[in-house]
Amino acid sequence: MKYYLQLGFVLLLITAIASGVLAYINGLTAPMIQENQRRIKAEARQEVLSEATVFDSIGAFNNEAVYAGKDADNVVVGFTFLASLYGYSSNIKTMVGVKPDLIVNKIKIISQTETPGLGANCQQMEFQAQFSDQSSGDLVVDKDGGQIVSITGATITTRTIANSIRNGLEYLTALKITENAETAQAEEEAVE
Amino acid sequence: MIKEFTKGFIKENPVFVMALGLCPTLAVSSSVMNAIGMGLAATFVLVCSNIIISLIKGFIPNKIRIPAYIVVIASFVTIVDMVMEAYVPDLHKNLGLFIPLIVVNCIILGRAEAFAGKNNVVKSILDGLGMGFGFTLALIVIATIREILGAGQFLGFNVLPTSYKPVLVAILAPGAFIVMGILMGMMNLKKKE
Repeated sequence: MKYYLQLGFVLLLITAIASGVLAYINGLTAPMIQENQRRIKAEARQEVLSEATVFDSIGAFNNEAVYAGKDADNVVVGFTFLASLYGYSSNIKTMVGVKPDLIVNKIKIISQTETPGLGANCQQMEFQAQFSDQSSGDLVVDKDGGQIVSITGATITTRTIANSIRNGLEYLTALKITENAETAQAEEEAVE
Repeated sequence: MIKEFTKGFIKENPVFVMALGLCPTLAVSSSVMNAIGMGLAATFVLVCSNIIISLIKGFIPNKIRIPAYIVVIASFVTIVDMVMEAYVPDLHKNLGLFIPLIVVNCIILGRAEAFAGKNNVVKSILDGLGMGFGFTLALIVIATIREILGAGQFLGFNVLPTSYKPVLVAILAPGAFIVMGILMGMMNLKKKE
């Protein structure tokens, strides 16, 4: 009995020391990691909506704030949201910049671990460029009858990205509808 | 003494001779950049865990040595993961889920059990460095073949004319098995001579 207690105690000691060291390192690195994440998202936001100088939060989608981008004259130049869906082997996170008429302005994939040489080629500029100037209805992969050219050997990855962006556009559409409805309601009440 | 360091290169190469750590080898060797990153990270964990395990080998009762080794190895991998995510986020993003996979890399547990648990710290360091280097070398060789054949690239740069049609299977799993099998076969032939 005492032998087994001794075994358990040694394991307890090793894991306690390991936990302590890990907690310490985590304390050092966690703030840096959070700052890196924040910076990457902010840079991506600016890149997909380059005319905006100020970003105002107007909602949330995929646990990430949806922003209305405004220029120096306080005119809305577009919106940004984070599209996120599970692709072939990882969550693919895409920062999407949208023009005021809900046509995609530009996208930037900021996180994925798809297969190197196949799905991972979604990071290439030429691939991401084909999503610009697409409306929600245009976001269909060629294999499904649309115009988005899928990556060779990575249809699932391509389709996931297209779908994730369409989901975000639908969210924005619903948001704007409610905004317009609220504005219309307010105007009606003001008239009365 | 030096033999402890060099044995990992060819004579007891962990991948081609001892057939250890084949899972990450197959998975990561689709591009040379990933191969180098994975090889270095695994070597770091291997050396660190060899040192600690060699130091505390006297205190660990025999019956619980495996769980104890795994706690040590997993801790170092977590440290590598956190430090990389904080200081080199781009490389960390490239290696992605391969970093946590270092924990189950049989080379590390294998060397802990077969060597570090029975030898002094200096020899364990040399063994770790040698095995890690041999692993990295094996990864790079396989990755070079797979990346050039399967994507016409080396380290992301196009090295073959654009008219080259890439042999896609080379960067998929079957390609990994085939390339590794051929190289293992070649090494065995050489050994017989």
